[in-house]
Amino acid sequence: MQSPEQASSPSVAHLAGVGTALPGDPVDNAMLARTLGVNEEWIDVFIGTRTRHFARDLVSGEVRWSLADLCARAGEQALTASGLAPDEIDFVVMGTATPDHLMPATVNHVADQLGLDQIPTYQLQSGCAGAVQALELGRTLVTGGGHRAGLVIGGDVCSKHLDLDRDLSGAAPSDLVNYVLFGDGAGAAVVTSEARGERLALRGVLNRFTGLGREPGQVIDWFGLADRYDDRQAVREDYKAIEESVPVMAVEILWELLEDLDWSPEQVDFLLPPQLSGRMTRRITEQLDLPDAVEVSCVADTGNNGNALPFLQLEGLLEKIGPGQRALAVAVESSKWIKSGFALEKI
Amino acid sequence: MKPVAIVGIDCRFPGAPDAGAYWDMLMRSGDGVDKVPGQRWNAREFHSPTGEDGHSNTTEGGFISDPDAFDNEFFTVSPREAAAMDPQQRLLLQCAWRAVEDSGVAPQRLAGTDTGVFVGIMGNEWAQLHMTDYARVTAQLGSGNGYCMTANRISYHLDLKGPSLAVDTACSSSLVAVHLACNALLAEECDTAIAAGVNVALTPALGIFYTQAGLSSPDGRCKPFSADADGIGRGEGVGAVVLRRLEDAIADGQQVYAVIRGTAVNQDGRSNGITAPNRWSQQEVVAAAYRRAGVEPSEVAFTEAHGTGTVLGDMIEVKALGHLHSGRSGRPMAIGSVKGNIGHAEGAAGIAGLIKVALSLHHKVVPASRFAAKENPALKLAKQGLRLLKAPLRLRSGPTIGGLSSFGMGGTNAHALLESAPAHAVRPEAGDPESGHTDSGAAGLGTGVFTLTAPSLEALRRNLLVQADAVQRRRTPVGPLCWSSNRAKTGHRHRFALPAADTGELAAGLREAAADDDLLARLSDRPAGKPRVALLFTGQGSQYPAMTARLYRQSPLYRRFLDEADTALAPHTGGSVREKLLSGDEAVHRTGWTQPALFAVEYALAASLTELGVRPALLLGHSVGEYAAAVLAGVFPLQDAARLITARGALMEELPEGGGMLAVRAPLTELTELVDTEPLVGVGAVNGPQATVLSGDLAALERIEDELRGRGVKTRRLEVSHAFHSPLMTPMLDRFAALADEIGGGVPTLPVYSTLRGRLLEAEPMDAKYWTEHISAPVLFGDAMTRLLEAGPTHLVEVGPRPVLTRMARTLRTVAGEGVHTVAPVPDEEADGRAFAEAVAALFRGGVDPNWDKAYPEEERVAQRLVPYAFSDTQRFWTRTPVRAVAPADLGVVTDDAAHTVRPYAQKQSAASGHGAVRTAVLPSAGEDQAADPVARAVIEAVAEVGGYAPDEVSALSLLYEDLGFDSVMVMELKDRIQERLSGLEEISVQDLLPRLSSVGDLVGYLQDRTDSAVA
Repeated sequence: MQSPEQASSPSVAHLAGVGTALPGDPVDNAMLARTLGVNEEWIDVFIGTRTRHFARDLVSGEVRWSLADLCARAGEQALTASGLAPDEIDFVVMGTATPDHLMPATVNHVADQLGLDQIPTYQLQSGCAGAVQALELGRTLVTGGGHRAGLVIGGDVCSKHLDLDRDLSGAAPSDLVNYVLFGDGAGAAVVTSEARGERLALRGVLNRFTGLGREPGQVIDWFGLADRYDDRQAVREDYKAIEESVPVMAVEILWELLEDLDWSPEQVDFLLPPQLSGRMTRRITEQLDLPDAVEVSCVADTGNNGNALPFLQLEGLLEKIGPGQRALAVAVESSKWIKSGFALEKI
Repeated sequence: MKPVAIVGIDCRFPGAPDAGAYWDMLMRSGDGVDKVPGQRWNAREFHSPTGEDGHSNTTEGGFISDPDAFDNEFFTVSPREAAAMDPQQRLLLQCAWRAVEDSGVAPQRLAGTDTGVFVGIMGNEWAQLHMTDYARVTAQLGSGNGYCMTANRISYHLDLKGPSLAVDTACSSSLVAVHLACNALLAEECDTAIAAGVNVALTPALGIFYTQAGLSSPDGRCKPFSADADGIGRGEGVGAVVLRRLEDAIADGQQVYAVIRGTAVNQDGRSNGITAPNRWSQQEVVAAAYRRAGVEPSEVAFTEAHGTGTVLGDMIEVKALGHLHSGRSGRPMAIGSVKGNIGHAEGAAGIAGLIKVALSLHHKVVPASRFAAKENPALKLAKQGLRLLKAPLRLRSGPTIGGLSSFGMGGTNAHALLESAPAHAVRPEAGDPESGHTDSGAAGLGTGVFTLTAPSLEALRRNLLVQADAVQRRRTPVGPLCWSSNRAKTGHRHRFALPAADTGELAAGLREAAADDDLLARLSDRPAGKPRVALLFTGQGSQYPAMTARLYRQSPLYRRFLDEADTALAPHTGGSVREKLLSGDEAVHRTGWTQPALFAVEYALAASLTELGVRPALLLGHSVGEYAAAVLAGVFPLQDAARLITARGALMEELPEGGGMLAVRAPLTELTELVDTEPLVGVGAVNGPQATVLSGDLAALERIEDELRGRGVKTRRLEVSHAFHSPLMTPMLDRFAALADEIGGGVPTLPVYSTLRGRLLEAEPMDAKYWTEHISAPVLFGDAMTRLLEAGPTHLVEVGPRPVLTRMARTLRTVAGEGVHTVAPVPDEEADGRAFAEAVAALFRGGVDPNWDKAYPEEERVAQRLVPYAFSDTQRFWTRTPVRAVAPADLGVVTDDAAHTVRPYAQKQSAASGHGAVRTAVLPSAGEDQAADPVARAVIEAVAEVGGYAPDEVSALSLLYEDLGFDSVMVMELKDRIQERLSGLEEISVQDLLPRLSSVGDLVGYLQDRTDSAVA
C-alpha cells in the first residue's frame, strides 16, 4: 500500500556489512533422492532447487550446528565486513521461525558467542519476513537517535523437521515438498546511522500484515510434553494458495516500494525477488517484470532457509552493486500473509 | 445534493458468492474469469480464434456460480413458476433480501412502506430463448420475463409500495439506477431505496457481437489501462445496495458503508457514431457529479474507472479524467477497475463498481487493479494527473472521496462521487439529542438473547450454522450482536432464541442446536396464532432471603423498577426492602416484611416485562399477589399500593402469633364439616380440587390434622407466622379498612381473575371493601385459575420469586389449558439476568415480539452486521439445454434431466429430483468416438488408473486438476503410464506435458499430434 510521505534523509539507515553462514557441504538432488527415496526428476521439475545445506548430517542424523552457531558465524562475518569493532554494536535484533529453544531466545546465545553484553537484544518470531522485520526494527533503532550501530540477524534451521527415518515413496506432494524445499542457514548485517563500510543506504522498508480472515498458507507447529505424540504434521503448507497469492503480493510490494520512493522501474538496477524455490522464484521474477534489473537469487543453491535468504541475497548483491546503483528486495511470508520488502542504494 | 448513505450490500460476482468474498477477491487481485460453463452454451462450437462470422474469439468469461439455484419455497414461488422465471429475477430477489438484512432491518419491517426499487439491467437473453417459441408461452413465462418484472418482483415479494422500475442504458444501467434511487430519496418519494443491477449471460450472442466489433479479448479478460489490454471479456453478476438519506440512517442507528455525495447522468447526443465513447460527454458527466457534490478534483483520492480494457476506450476515459485532474495539486488520482477481476458485467457493471468503491471507503483501502503492473505507457497517465493502482492504496483516516464511472454503449454516461462514512454514523453519541435518541430509563436484562427466524426447520438449521461460523470467526461484543439479531432476524414462522453471555458460548450453542433436534425443539417454536400472555403473581410462602438479588445486580431494567418500588415503599416500611433483599436478610420471612418485599419483587418483574413489550392479556394474583397485579391493571398507583400493602403486613405482624396454616390433599367439600367444628379455623385457600388450605388457631389445626391423618388424608404444615385468611385476622380488619377507604381503588383496566371471587372481575372495583374482605376470605385460586385457563392463554408467566402458581396450575389444566407454555423469569433462588433473558427468549419463541431495545443497556444498542440469510441452494431451475451452434430441435421449456454441464456439482442437488423442471448434473462420461481412438483410450485408461477412477468416470471434458484432483506426483506417474501404453510415442518430458494438462481432451489432442508426427 502507498503512504503519502517519504522517508526524509536524516532518518536513513545504512548497511555497513553483511555476513552469511551455511552449514556443511551442499546436498544435491541425487543425494537427497537417494537418502529420502524421492524422485529426483520430480524435485528438478516441480521444485527447481539444485542444492541445499543441512545443519543435521544427512547420513548419521547427527546435529552438527545449532541455529545460534550459524547466526553467530554470520554475525561475526558481518562485523568483520563492516569494519566496525564489536564494542560499537549497540543492540542485536534477530528474526527466526525456528529458534533453538523457546527460552532462552537464541539471540542471546548469539550475543554470548559474539562476546556482546549489556546491550538490548530482540528476537522476532517470524517466517520469511522476519529478516525484513529485523531490518526495520534495526533501522528504527539507529534512526531514533538512541543507537548508532546494531547487528541484525536472520536464520533458520529447518532440518529439525527433516525426519530421515521416514519412507517417502508413497508421500503426497504437499508432504514431500517439505523435505526438498528447505535448507538451513543464517545471515546478518550491521546497521548503522551513518554510511560506513559497504555504504548501502536503506531507503525504504515495507512490513505489513495482510492476512485478516485468511487461513495461513504455511504452519510450523511445535510440540510440548503434553502433545509430543500427537499425530499432527509438524510443517503444513497450502501450496495452491501460495502459488496463487505470492506472485500477486510480490508485484504489489514492488510497486508500493517504487511509488513510495518515487522510483521508476528503470531506476532499479538489482532485484532481490522472493526465494520460495528455484521454480517459484523464476515464475515470480518473470511477473515482477523488471527487465532492466539484474536478479539476485540464491534459493536454487541454498534451499529455502527462511530468514537467512535476504542476507544471502544481500551478500550476492554486494558483489555486483556499484555507487549510485539501486536495489529492491521483495519477500512474502505466506504463513499469515505478510508483505515485506526493502529498497537500497549504494552511496 | 444531500448525502445518501449506503447501509446494506449484497452481491454475487464471478469468483465471489457474497460481499465478503468479493472484497477478499479484490484484495487478493483474484481472477474470477474461467471457461464458459457447459450449462450456458457450447463454447467450443462458437469459438474461432480469428473471429469468423458467427463466432467468438474466446471460450472464457466471468460467470457466477450457481445461477440456477433459487430458494423458491422461501419466497413461496411454485417450482413451475420458478422454472419459468428469468434467473436474473431469482438472483435479484435473494440479493435484495440479503441486502436489506445487511442494513440491519428485517425485510418484513419494510412491508407496506414506500421503499423504492431501482434495477439496472440490459440482458434479456432468457426471454430471447423462451418467448420466441410461441406455442410454449405460458402465463408463468409472461411474468417470468421482462425488465420491469425484475424490479416489480422485489416490490411484490417484499411488499414495497414505492417506485419500482428497471433501467436499461446498456452498460451504465445499474449506476443510472443508483442515480435514480438517490434522486427518489432526495425528492422524498421514498425513505428507503434498493438499487440493484444484474447480468446473466445465457447465449454467446454478445460475445459474438464484441468479437465481430473487434472489441473482444481473446482470453476473455478485461485488462484495464494495461499495455496488454486487448478488449472486453464478458462478466456476470448481481448486486444490490440499500440506500437511505444519511440523516435517516444516522437517526435509526444504521451502520453506513459509505455516503453518496453526488451523481450525474448525461448523454453523448449526436456524437461520432452511436456506439463510440465520447470524451467530451465523459468529462462533462464527471464534472457534473463533482459540481453536484461540491467537490474539487484534487479532493478525489481515487476513481473506479469504467475501464473496459479496450485500447480506445481506455484512452478516451483517461483523457476525459485528465481534463479535470491534469492540473491537480498533490498526488495524482489513483484509478483502477474491477473489470480486471470479473470481466465487464454489463448491466451489473455499475453496481459492481459502486460496491467496490463503498467497500474500499469502508475498509479504508482501495484494492490494486488487476493487470495494472503492466501499465499502458501510451496513456501517459502521469501527465493526466492519474496513476494506476498497482498496489493497494491505504486511505487516510478522516473523510476520503472516491469516484465511479459507468458508461453505456449507446452514449448514456454516469458518474458518482462517494465519501467515507462520517465517524459519528458508526455510533450515535450517547445522550446526544441530535441523534434523536432519548433515554427513557435504564434498560437491559443482564444477558443478551440471540434470535433467528426461518420459514422451515431445515432453513433454521442451515442459518444457525451460517451464523455460528460467522460469530466464531471474529470476536465481537455479544450484546450488540444479539440486539442486531433481534432487529434483523425476525419475521419468519420458526422462531429461535438463545441467551448468550459471550460469542464463544453463542457459536457453540448455535452449532449444538443445529445438530440436535431435541435441543432445537426446545430453543425454537412455531406459534400457531397470536400469543396471549397470563401473568400469575405469587403469594406468601414463595419468599426467601436475597430473592432476585442476583437479577437486581445484573439487570439494569429490573433494578430500575425494584428501586422504584423501594422508593414507594420506603416512607411506610421504615427501612429499605431493597437493602433487605440485597443483604439476604432473614427478616423477609416476617410478614411485615414479606408482604412489601413480595410486592416489590412482583411489581418490578411485571413492570420489567411490560417495559419489554410483553402485553399481559390476563392477570391473576394469589392472595397478596393481587396487589402488584392490581397496580399493573391500573386499580391504584404504585405509591398507594405500597402504602396499603405495608400497612397490611404490619397489621398482620402485630397480631398475636399462634396461628398457622395446614395444606390438605382433599377437596373442600370433605373438609367443611371438620372446619365448622372449629370456630378459630377457616378455609384459607382452595388451590384446586384436591388442594385445600386451612388456616387458624394452631391447637385447632392440630386436632384437625390428627383427624385427617386418621382418615389417611395427606397434610402438610405451612411455614407461616400467622393464620392468613382466617378468623384470626378479624382484629386488624377495622384499622385496615380505615386506611383502605382512604386509598380506594378502581376497576381494573386489564382482565383480572380474582382469587377473592374465584372468577374474572366484571367492571367491579378493587376498592376498600374488596381489599378488606380479601384479608380473611379464602383464596379461591383453583376457581380463578380454571376460569383463566378457559380463556385460552398461550403463556403462563410466574411473576414471583419462584415458580409456584404455574406448578399448581398444571394440575388444573383441562383440555382448554393444554399446550400452554409456562415461563419463570425467576426459576430458582440462584436466578440471575440470564434466567430472565431465558424467560424473554421463551416468550419470543412463543410469538411475543418484545421491545428488544429495553433488553439491552444503551451502550449495547449498537448495530452489528450479521451474515444475511442463507438461502437453500438445493432447488435448481434451468429449464433448457445449453445453446448449440446447430439450430436446436427444441428451444422451449424442457424438463429433461440430461447432463450437459462439465463441472460435477451434483452433490449439492440432492433434493432436486422431485421437480420435473430441475436438472441434475452428473460427471460427463466418455463419448463413443473417444473410446474408439487408441490414443484417447490409452490416455483415459492411464488417467483412470493413476487417479483411481473407473474408465467411464473419465471423459475428454474432465479437468485433471479441478475435477480429478491430480497433483504433481500423479502427473509424474501419468507420464510413465502413458509412455508405457503408447509405445510408438517418442520420449515425452514432464515439462512438455505440463502446459497440456487442463482437460483430458487437451492431453489426448496433444498426444495425438505427437503420435501423428512420429508416424509421419
